[in-house]
Amino acid sequence: MRIRISHETVYRYDQPAGGVIQTLRLTPRNHVGQFVVDWRIDVSENCELAQHEDAFGNIVHTFNADGPFTELRVLAEGEVETQDTGGVVRGTIERFPESLYLRETPLTRLDPAIAEFARAASAAAGGGALKALHGLLARLHGEMAFDTDPTHPATTAAEAFAMKRGVCQDLTHVFIAAARSLGVPARYIGGHFHRNDGVVAQEAGHAWAEAFVPDLGWVAFDPANGISATDAHVRVAVGLDYLGAAPVRGTRTGGAGEALTVAVQVAQAGRQMQS
Amino acid sequence: MLSRTADNLYWLARYVERAEYLARILEATQRITAMPLAYVGETNEWASAVATAGCSGAFFAAHEEANEETVTEFLAFSTANPSSILNCFEVARSNARAIRTALTVEMWDAINTTWLELKRFGNRPQSRDEFARFLRWVQESSLRFDGSAYRTMLRNDAYWFSRIGVYIERADNTARILDVKYHLLLPEDEHIGGPLDYYQWAGILRSVSALTAYHWVYRESLKPWLVADLLILKDQLPRSLSSCYENLVQNLDRIANAYGRQGPAQRQARAVRTKLQNSRMEEIFGEGLHEFIGGFIADNNRLGEAIRQQYLA
Repeated sequence: MRIRISHETVYRYDQPAGGVIQTLRLTPRNHVGQFVVDWRIDVSENCELAQHEDAFGNIVHTFNADGPFTELRVLAEGEVETQDTGGVVRGTIERFPESLYLRETPLTRLDPAIAEFARAASAAAGGGALKALHGLLARLHGEMAFDTDPTHPATTAAEAFAMKRGVCQDLTHVFIAAARSLGVPARYIGGHFHRNDGVVAQEAGHAWAEAFVPDLGWVAFDPANGISATDAHVRVAVGLDYLGAAPVRGTRTGGAGEALTVAVQVAQAGRQMQS
Repeated sequence: MLSRTADNLYWLARYVERAEYLARILEATQRITAMPLAYVGETNEWASAVATAGCSGAFFAAHEEANEETVTEFLAFSTANPSSILNCFEVARSNARAIRTALTVEMWDAINTTWLELKRFGNRPQSRDEFARFLRWVQESSLRFDGSAYRTMLRNDAYWFSRIGVYIERADNTARILDVKYHLLLPEDEHIGGPLDYYQWAGILRSVSALTAYHWVYRESLKPWLVADLLILKDQLPRSLSSCYENLVQNLDRIANAYGRQGPAQRQARAVRTKLQNSRMEEIFGEGLHEFIGGFIADNNRLGEAIRQQYLA
């Protein structure tokens, strides 16, 4: 599938900002099943956009914009060609042994409720890591409701699980915590999802998890949709949790009264058919 | 477009590129054999030139010894060698003639003039100097053809097929140089930095016009792993494997967009491009440079086959 993505982040300040420093993880990379045809990042202020690679192999851009300004726009857009690989993720950049992804983070801290949930789902699914993960995926998708109201970016897995509701980020954190409690390395993936119901404009990017299955490698699980990743998923950044893969992180001087809006558009491009 | 026409455009570009490559190999070999033996060691550079051209089998069936005389004859003028410079231009010209109307006047002129002038060299150059001039002329002919395609062709499927021919041949050629010379590029090579190696490394870089480029990119003396890095992974170098695949992916993508459908050729090209983009030199050396190059040549041949099945047959 050829997917056209536009991801715009707009900051408006009541009082002009004196300067802004940001780190962007907005650029997808190629792997088997995903090819970036064309991609660019545009910042509305004059600044030097420096590109480098973080420890996980994500492409990171940093910039330092000098104010004063009352509005700052960061736009990432481009076209990505994807193929369905049945959720198996191959050809990615791996800088660490899998066991690193067993590491717990504040956002994915395990609590007894999640551990019990994981144990039950795994036991019901029967033997094998892959079966256990699919069992976990189905149960989590069934039990937790998608709701944008009660949670915020700093909500932990345990808090979201207690409310039984959250956004894709929260469901992913719970899935990661649960998988790690079963001894399965798991990581957070930030990216985009092309909806097949014709909705193009979205309020945010998407998030899902990858878990390491012996003999198969990394397998992607999308708990918000209850499926493994398909050719509708565009993988952008990887991390131990949301903070590690966050699309934009930064700080500023001045600029009190900041208001943030994010506009994401994910649409199928062209009218290309597979032969 | 008829697949026949696409086939002619593709092979026309491939053969012109191949003629240029042979001239580069011969020039580099001539240069290195002009060095005193103490500098370059007791290697048979002429046999290695034949191996780099990928026709050792045919050569040793016809000749017993690889030396200046037999190798230049075989690679440049032999009518028995299907990939000699002479035959490359011959085949390129007959491909061009079959699709005369799909070419611009400038392109046809370039290839036809080359073919006619080649008759002038029919009696074989008599001296080393004359042969060196001949090799320069071959490269200039290829430049003229390539330049006229770049400057005069409509940007449609005809142009894209001819570009694909150029880049798949170029990728194959660079990979062959690396395949024959890989042992000189291994980091644990024992006589590291000796004069022998310096001239060999410089020779490798010269054969892809990258000696000056090397110093621009790395700003240091010649190091074998950096030579490999430049020729394999650097997008900036127009003859690197990575750059060839960047262009292959782009041109195949344009064809797919124009025709509204894509297939194995696009997927194979993207897969190789991804592999090159996600590789680092330490990992390639760790897994074995020779294996990596061998794998690349096989991948490149698979792409050639996929293109043939999808578009040319």
